[in-house]
Amino acid sequence: MDQDPIYQELQNVITEACHIFEDIPDTIDPDSALIGPDSPLGLDSLDAVEVVVAIQKHYDVRIGGQQSGREALESLRTLANYIKSNPS
Amino acid sequence: MIGHDFPHQQSAHCETGAAASLLRQAGLNLSEAMVFGIGGGLFFGYVPFVKLNGFPLMTYRCRPGGIFSRLTKSLQCEVKQQKYRNKEQSMIELDQMLEQGLVVGLQTSVFWLPYIPPALRFHFNAHNLIVVSKQDQRYLISDPVMPELVWCDKEDLVNARFAQGALAPKGRCYTLHSPKVTDLRQPVLKGIRTVCRDMLAPIPIGGVRGLRFMARSMRGWQKKYGKRRSLSCLAQLIRMQEEIGTGGAGFRFIYAAFLQEAATLFDEPQLEQLAQRLTIIGDQWREFALQATRCCKGRAEVTFDGLAQMIETNADIEEQFFRELRQLERQLGRKLKKSVQEVSS
Repeated sequence: MDQDPIYQELQNVITEACHIFEDIPDTIDPDSALIGPDSPLGLDSLDAVEVVVAIQKHYDVRIGGQQSGREALESLRTLANYIKSNPS
Repeated sequence: MIGHDFPHQQSAHCETGAAASLLRQAGLNLSEAMVFGIGGGLFFGYVPFVKLNGFPLMTYRCRPGGIFSRLTKSLQCEVKQQKYRNKEQSMIELDQMLEQGLVVGLQTSVFWLPYIPPALRFHFNAHNLIVVSKQDQRYLISDPVMPELVWCDKEDLVNARFAQGALAPKGRCYTLHSPKVTDLRQPVLKGIRTVCRDMLAPIPIGGVRGLRFMARSMRGWQKKYGKRRSLSCLAQLIRMQEEIGTGGAGFRFIYAAFLQEAATLFDEPQLEQLAQRLTIIGDQWREFALQATRCCKGRAEVTFDGLAQMIETNADIEEQFFRELRQLERQLGRKLKKSVQEVSS
């Protein structure tokens, strides 16, 4: 399992923003689907709005415009890469 | 025949992505935002008497195919397109075009494309993709919404090209040839003019008036549809705004990127400022989507009335914005005309 601390940080930001109180793993696989039926966090497409706003507030990184949000929100890894490649 | 070396690029929106790819092949490299802007893609429409999946039709962009047709007209780009009744004939002609080394745009149904994850397939018949080459009974496809090139069996592609229902593609295929216009200034101004005209149109269902109409209707959704359906209606609005290939905030961020590029093209700081303002407006749309999402998820901080108020506020801000943009476009148009006259005299 990848140990980059940003994955844990992102998971915490997302669970807080999306009000996830159910039992979820402490650490999810950074390559697992972030949104959709296979998401270990149980996020649906409406939660994606919460995620992009939380990312913007927390990291001052806007997901949108020409950069495809679909690609950035694929997994924790793609989201982390997006944040790293679009510093505030 | 072109193959795996086709420079595939993932896009926020299929029509602009496909058009940008075809233009690139024809020798003109434009960003997705520039294609969207020249094609005058930004719009808002609220048409409650037309239902989409049982909900009032709401759209944050012009009609399907509108961007492509305005773009190619503005750039004086020769387009060859064809619809078919005969499925076999459509595939024979597709193969012939591929053998000639052409890449071919197709209108298809998302539902029948096997490489799209099942959870994301829905009955939308105006999805654009590009066929790059053929091997045996499979086609190599550059689908703007996919991260890389994908393969699709002939049978599936036939089903996608001949799906029934609203906006049925009827096998429509199209190819682009080199654009005659290479100076983008006039097409950019024309695109801005189109969007300002549409957003400020004196019709109740379109542009800023359409936004106000939707806000008024929204106040009555709970009474009209009941709690459960009104929340589904709201969820549909969020999806149209944030998901369906908009790049977020109902295409505002993409359009802001276009204005930014236009500012560089004209060396015009006022366009740059308008681009920044539109990004802020986009953030306000995203804040609306956030509050609407919380409403749908039972964590509401605002009521339907409050959401309607947010839309009305955005409509007022956008009305002012598009009036200023129209004014600037007219100024730039006069300057451009004058400079062209000076050069030619």
